[in-house]
Amino acid sequence: MHIRDGILGPEVCLMAGIISLGAVSYSLRRLRFDLEDRAVPLTGMLAALIFAGQMVNFPLLGLPVSGHLLGGVLAAVTLGPWAGCLAISMVLIVQAVLFSDGGLMSLGANILNMGVVGAWGGYGVYSTIRRTFGSSHAATVAAAVIAAWLSVLAAATLFCVEFLLSSHSSGFDPRGILTLMVLYHALIGVGEALITGGVLAYVLGRRPDLIPELGSIGPVGRVGGFAVSGVVLALAVAAILAPFKSELPDGLDAVSEQVGLSALEVERPPLVLEDYAIPLLARWPQLSVSVAGILGTLIVFAGAAGLAGMTRRTTPSIVTRSIVTTDGSHGG
Amino acid sequence: MVVDSRSSKQSLFQPLPGGIKLLMALAMILAAGLIPLENWPAHGLLIGMIYIGLSIAGVTTGYLLRRLALFMPMLLVFGLSAPAVRSDGAAWSWTISLWLRCTVSFLAGLWLIHVLPFRELLITLRRWRCPAVLIAMLGFMYRYTFILWDELHRLQNARAARDFGSGPWWRTWSTNSQMIGLLLLRAMERAERTHRAMLARGWDGSVRFLESDE
Repeated sequence: MHIRDGILGPEVCLMAGIISLGAVSYSLRRLRFDLEDRAVPLTGMLAALIFAGQMVNFPLLGLPVSGHLLGGVLAAVTLGPWAGCLAISMVLIVQAVLFSDGGLMSLGANILNMGVVGAWGGYGVYSTIRRTFGSSHAATVAAAVIAAWLSVLAAATLFCVEFLLSSHSSGFDPRGILTLMVLYHALIGVGEALITGGVLAYVLGRRPDLIPELGSIGPVGRVGGFAVSGVVLALAVAAILAPFKSELPDGLDAVSEQVGLSALEVERPPLVLEDYAIPLLARWPQLSVSVAGILGTLIVFAGAAGLAGMTRRTTPSIVTRSIVTTDGSHGG
Repeated sequence: MVVDSRSSKQSLFQPLPGGIKLLMALAMILAAGLIPLENWPAHGLLIGMIYIGLSIAGVTTGYLLRRLALFMPMLLVFGLSAPAVRSDGAAWSWTISLWLRCTVSFLAGLWLIHVLPFRELLITLRRWRCPAVLIAMLGFMYRYTFILWDELHRLQNARAARDFGSGPWWRTWSTNSQMIGLLLLRAMERAERTHRAMLARGWDGSVRFLESDE
């Protein structure tokens, strides 16, 4: 999973680095608020734990290679998304600087793919599923298993986007790379999901109090968790499906061609996402379709989140407070 | 575990500040990323420079070859998948260019782990105005890593003493998951204990450094 230096172009590494820097500093701010003075020793221990856990090798059906835990979702489930993101980032820093495992220049991309998508996105999926199906042990384990699988898939998709955006790798067929990566990581994801589920089931059997309830997260966190999990799901779905979109014209276009209406069509100024393809990415038609799909999904979600925020703001404050307390007493 | 033990060796690079070493390694990796394939001799020049650096840092050629042997298979597989997904003539030149870039970057990273002790990395991060909390967490993680590795070895020894050889793969998977789970329980309990001990000594959540650390 670790991206080596030399695979991504320097400009993509720089962009990913800036994004992950922002994500890490935001996690730091939220962490001090959530865990207070326990933040430093607990997060340090969590990072060391994920690091040690990655040393345990899992045999792969008699093959000479072996798999290991990645840990994004496990870390987020144990101490929350902020500590989880920081722990994974620290593991990646130490691996890059002390073990030469994963690149120095592509550290930002690695943190983005595994720390931010793995911990934040994975936690979003996990908390949404848990809220829907209650907080029984089975639901918790199932939520973590699904989140682990999806987070690996989302990380693989994000890697494809980063790879295809690099200046080195022009001329590749995005559909081929995406298919290869998604197939390969769907399998890796199954391993990660099994390990995460196994660890969590064991911990829940011994010390269920170590896995925190979701009740402490306020309504804003709920909307955020829902939005994040939706984005992760949509990224996975859009990335899997968009390149295979039919080349044929859609229903209305086909009908208008048959009837001969196309001659009547008036020239209109181009829209931003003309026919689901971003003009800048004209070099890679399939990728541009994918990116357009992802961008479109993001815009839709931003709109939905904005609407949700507006409805909440119109609610009188006393009512809001009473909703919060009832929700809190039920423990979500 | 032999972590970070090599970086404390005496060498010409030791008196250099950590930031300079970090930037030197990054510059090499960046240079490797920017050189186009037509100028491939430049990659050879970079490899030669790093090899000299590695020899000065006290890395033996045997060790270097062993590390390269561990690194190469994954790189070969990744490079060979390029001709599989594109059929034009540029595929092979892309693969060779990838191999060169990755090798230079790997050697530069290897040089860095031999000249930069972890302590120096923390001091460098502090000089670069990295938040003190993050540096303290990294320090904690570093200390706990050795403890947890020892713990993991004890768990693995105990398991090896109890199961007679290998069972079916799903048994190994479930035992290994439970081992990580047990490690998690012990780690979290230890972290809670440490936190209480820190509270007893006046910990208020803010991190202070001694000036003499610089």
